[in-house]
Amino acid sequence: MKASHLVCSIFATTLALNVASAVEPFSPQRFEQARSVIRPQKGEDKWEQIAWRTDLWEARKEAAAAGKPILLWEMDGHPLGCT
Amino acid sequence: MANEDYVTVSGDDWYQRRRQDKEGEFFRKVADQGPRKGQGGSTRQGIYCFTADGELLMYKNAGQNADVMREVLEQGLAKWKRLPESRRKPGAVEVGDHGTVDRRYVRIPPRGGLIAVVYTRILDKDSKGEICKGTCPTLGGERAARDHLWLTSDEVRSFIPADAKAGSTFAIPSAIAERILRFHLVDNTRGEPPAWRREDIRKSEMKLTVTAMTESECRLQFSGQALLADASDAASSKRGYEVALAGELRYDRKAGNFTRFDITAVGEHWGEGAFTRGARPGRQLLGVAIELAGDKPADRIPPQFAREWNAYFGKN
Repeated sequence: MKASHLVCSIFATTLALNVASAVEPFSPQRFEQARSVIRPQKGEDKWEQIAWRTDLWEARKEAAAAGKPILLWEMDGHPLGCT
Repeated sequence: MANEDYVTVSGDDWYQRRRQDKEGEFFRKVADQGPRKGQGGSTRQGIYCFTADGELLMYKNAGQNADVMREVLEQGLAKWKRLPESRRKPGAVEVGDHGTVDRRYVRIPPRGGLIAVVYTRILDKDSKGEICKGTCPTLGGERAARDHLWLTSDEVRSFIPADAKAGSTFAIPSAIAERILRFHLVDNTRGEPPAWRREDIRKSEMKLTVTAMTESECRLQFSGQALLADASDAASSKRGYEVALAGELRYDRKAGNFTRFDITAVGEHWGEGAFTRGARPGRQLLGVAIELAGDKPADRIPPQFAREWNAYFGKN
């Protein structure tokens, strides 16, 4: 059974959530559909094609040993985990 | 080009520019060769190409702009190739031990705890009323933002009461609910948002229902709703999020950890923060999807709001 079907079958026994006043009721199926839209699609983020390391000191060691320059992507808020 | 010709690494400038250890000193030495010297403690963010011994080859501040990234790569590599062979050959540079680490600016996931990835995306409705990706004029604002949720091992084990059985319904522990609400139901799609203050949680209900219980596993349905707003009167608040949540969790009772931790939140968000300008006007759909993280290095990147460690873990 696909995960999405399992989730739906579990939710199907419950009433749709009637949430805070301004937000429309969401059925379990609608949550599942929203989830599939929210999660990144394969290939959506081009930067994922690069094998980013997260330890600068280890990157220095690796670059020195391999005879390569270093590419550092530095953001205020981790570029792989913030925005 | 990036994978073949470079050793690629990423970092959070907030930590790197503050670290008082060899790594922090090295980063600042490289960055200070460029235009951003961090005057007054300000950011040194950007894309840097440099040698293992710290000579800056190329710098630009371009965020996620792929074209600029490519330009930096090409120009940096051209400069690298102009360096003498004696400096470029493998082993030409010796990198010593890191030495004592400045623990104030290093975040390590709680041992035995839970790491979940948190995706956030602006949403819209298509002509049939179905949820679809939203659009906005801010570069990259339509993409899914990422963060991580960390729970301690004690928190993981506190989810399910000892006397829970199939059909039981109970609230999730308040500290965990508060962490999800304040730090993870935020609009980080255009930059670093402000966290919600405790008093911004105007209404919340987050509960679990046991759908199946065996000796080895407990399956739970998650449901909830919340109103977050920066004023007691939500209608007049400048920033808010009115949201419904649902999900499915599976807990391995023998191992004491979750094997599934899927939570989805969908609701209407309004307003923006000082570093998240460009929000769509009025109330707009925003969705958040939480799931267990994998085991890549990027999966261990700390939650954005773990910079304030005690606040994130509810210790003040």
